[in-house]
Amino acid sequence: MDEELDIETLDPRKDVRGAAEVKELLRASGLDAEADIQVFVVARNRSRIVACAGLAEDVVKCVTIAAEYRGSSLALRLMNEIHHLAMKRGQSHLFLYTKPCNVTLFEGCGFHKLVEVLGHACLMENTPVGIKDYCDSLNAFRQPGQRIGCVVLNANPFTLGHLYLVRQALRQCDWLHVFVVSEDASAISYADRLELVRAGLAGMERLTVHGGSRYLISKATFPSYFIKDACVVEACGTAIDLLIFRRYIAPALGITHRFIGTEPFCRLTRKYNEDMFEWLENVSEEGQPVHVVEIPRLEVAGHPVSASEVRRLLAKGDFVTMASLVPPTTLACLRAKYAFRTQPQEDDYATEIIEVE
Amino acid sequence: MKKLRRSMLFIPGSNAAMLSTAFVYRPDSIMFDLEDAVALREKDSARLLVFHTLRLTAYHGIETVVRINPLDTPYGLMDLDAAVRGGAEIVRLPKTDCAEDIHRLEREVDRIERECGREHGSTRLMAAIESASGVVNAVAIATASPRMDSIALAGFDYVVDMQTQRGDGMELFYARCAILHAARAAKIDAFDVVFSDVNDDEGFLKEANFAKRLGFNGKSLINPRQIELLHQAYAPTEQEVLKAQRIVHAAEEAESQGLGVVSLNGKMVDAPVVLNAQRILALAKPAFVQA
Amino acid sequence: MKIKKEAICGTLESNDLLVKVVPFGGLQVSIYSEVMRQFGARIREVVDETLKQMNVSQGKFVIEDKGALDCAIRARVQTAVLRGCDSEELDWKGL
Repeated sequence: MDEELDIETLDPRKDVRGAAEVKELLRASGLDAEADIQVFVVARNRSRIVACAGLAEDVVKCVTIAAEYRGSSLALRLMNEIHHLAMKRGQSHLFLYTKPCNVTLFEGCGFHKLVEVLGHACLMENTPVGIKDYCDSLNAFRQPGQRIGCVVLNANPFTLGHLYLVRQALRQCDWLHVFVVSEDASAISYADRLELVRAGLAGMERLTVHGGSRYLISKATFPSYFIKDACVVEACGTAIDLLIFRRYIAPALGITHRFIGTEPFCRLTRKYNEDMFEWLENVSEEGQPVHVVEIPRLEVAGHPVSASEVRRLLAKGDFVTMASLVPPTTLACLRAKYAFRTQPQEDDYATEIIEVE
Repeated sequence: MKKLRRSMLFIPGSNAAMLSTAFVYRPDSIMFDLEDAVALREKDSARLLVFHTLRLTAYHGIETVVRINPLDTPYGLMDLDAAVRGGAEIVRLPKTDCAEDIHRLEREVDRIERECGREHGSTRLMAAIESASGVVNAVAIATASPRMDSIALAGFDYVVDMQTQRGDGMELFYARCAILHAARAAKIDAFDVVFSDVNDDEGFLKEANFAKRLGFNGKSLINPRQIELLHQAYAPTEQEVLKAQRIVHAAEEAESQGLGVVSLNGKMVDAPVVLNAQRILALAKPAFVQA
Repeated sequence: MKIKKEAICGTLESNDLLVKVVPFGGLQVSIYSEVMRQFGARIREVVDETLKQMNVSQGKFVIEDKGALDCAIRARVQTAVLRGCDSEELDWKGL
């Protein structure tokens, strides 16, 4: 029966009719065709689409197979095709979201379970050594101590507020690991953000700055974070990211405490912070609990310092006011590389969202 | 006694599972396909899979054929390396249109045998005719080289070239006859087309019987289920077997008595008739005999 | 031979294996198999032998086996190496 099927790719942006067919097929399985999918792999029986799998950069989602074809090796063929397609697009490390009931099916297609939010969703990756290798590499940076802290920054850009948070956290632990979100979806590039964090924290002791990874606040683990105007977070939007942190990253470095700044602006970030208490501190979850410590945001002239405010000032070219909110290294970089942005960019306003701690 | 070659099972060279297990079906020959059954991006992988599979001892008792890509593709020559060095008995050349195609193939096979130390002449050739030109040049192709082992008709591409479609078989009639005659004149074997509807046993048997009647040595198969059906079609009737036994017995008698002529029931029996009787007995050996 | 780019070869169908390779400073081979206990050692032996024959000194290999025979293991590993080195030059004697 498999032999009758043609497997092909479909660009939902160009093939409007095909996109509608896929949407219908997904709807029948209770799934939404997500807007960020760049390409679908579909199986057609004569001209009818009977199965599909979507690819959004390195994340595979919106996978469904019409009932009459389940149990055949169609899933394997589909995933095989997705792998080849992704390789051609430069993505060899893939992540997959699926319902827990389908985990076994995808294990047969070369995916390995990362974490499951019981009953809701499961994140998988297409290698047996992905998270393991990552944790092994982190292990090299383990430091001795009773209280090992962690701060995760987007730092878009690095401000005095971030510096304050780090200093406060350092006072409460023996060693602090600072991670910079590596997803390049912010106004300031990842390379620059990382550089500004290093520059801003230069000379400080008992501290390690780490580049980010796909496993920590990325489009793979926490997609809603990167969707503009996402007011609603799916039930497990934050859980997957936090569970990976708790079960893999924290143990690799021996992290006992995670520090966050209070979030007065962004609803999404506030929810993320709230969820942290549930997923990191809760004793009934698998894995050693991590204590969450909330530190009040730094205020300058009565206002909490925020990176979004800095970006607004950048858009206006107001480096004078900005100087009171960022360290000199950040100011210099923005002046040199980002000053051309005198028009407000779309993400300056939507983004209360792209600001974590 | 000539080897039985009723069934030639096509196995896609890119399918590791099938390559590992095809020998259990016991066809008379196995054809590892590097051409149409293999997607472009898997050509390199299939080539090596077939190379290593050829060396499996499980395949040493079965006749092995490798269908390479045409020599004017980026894959053909490397496929040929894999086939010859891997130890395939026969190389099948698709889209053979003229004798020169065989000559070119032969030159390359000569070279590779030399390079890898394989006995010169041990690699034999099968020409697949897939076009009108091929049919028209069948005799030249069949006699193009001492390495020529057999000639096969590939129905699908042929009917496209003829600007028609597969139907009740009439569209293949001339091609079948031409190829058969070329094969017999050159004293090599002839193979009939693939029957692609794996669920239509009746249709398959009808075509198999027709091919047998015309005189084809065997048929290309794409599904192991067709092997047993085909062997049954080729099995002689009980009557044919009895008659053949009498002829062979008479021939043996004549030889033991040092007589130059074989006679049965007062009539002289020619050498070709004896050979045919032996062929019938060979076909009868595998257990099934039609009532 | 040095692996220059990421490459993948094979499938996860029964009796087959999937070989993934990426450039790496040294030589690292990880093998995963449903029949690890019975055949893990044999799979490793065949892989090591194949890599040695091709003179592969650098590359990180991840192999997911689904019960493949030695011949499939050799073929898939060799093809992955060739793809990873962006080469089609086969040293037949080396095989």
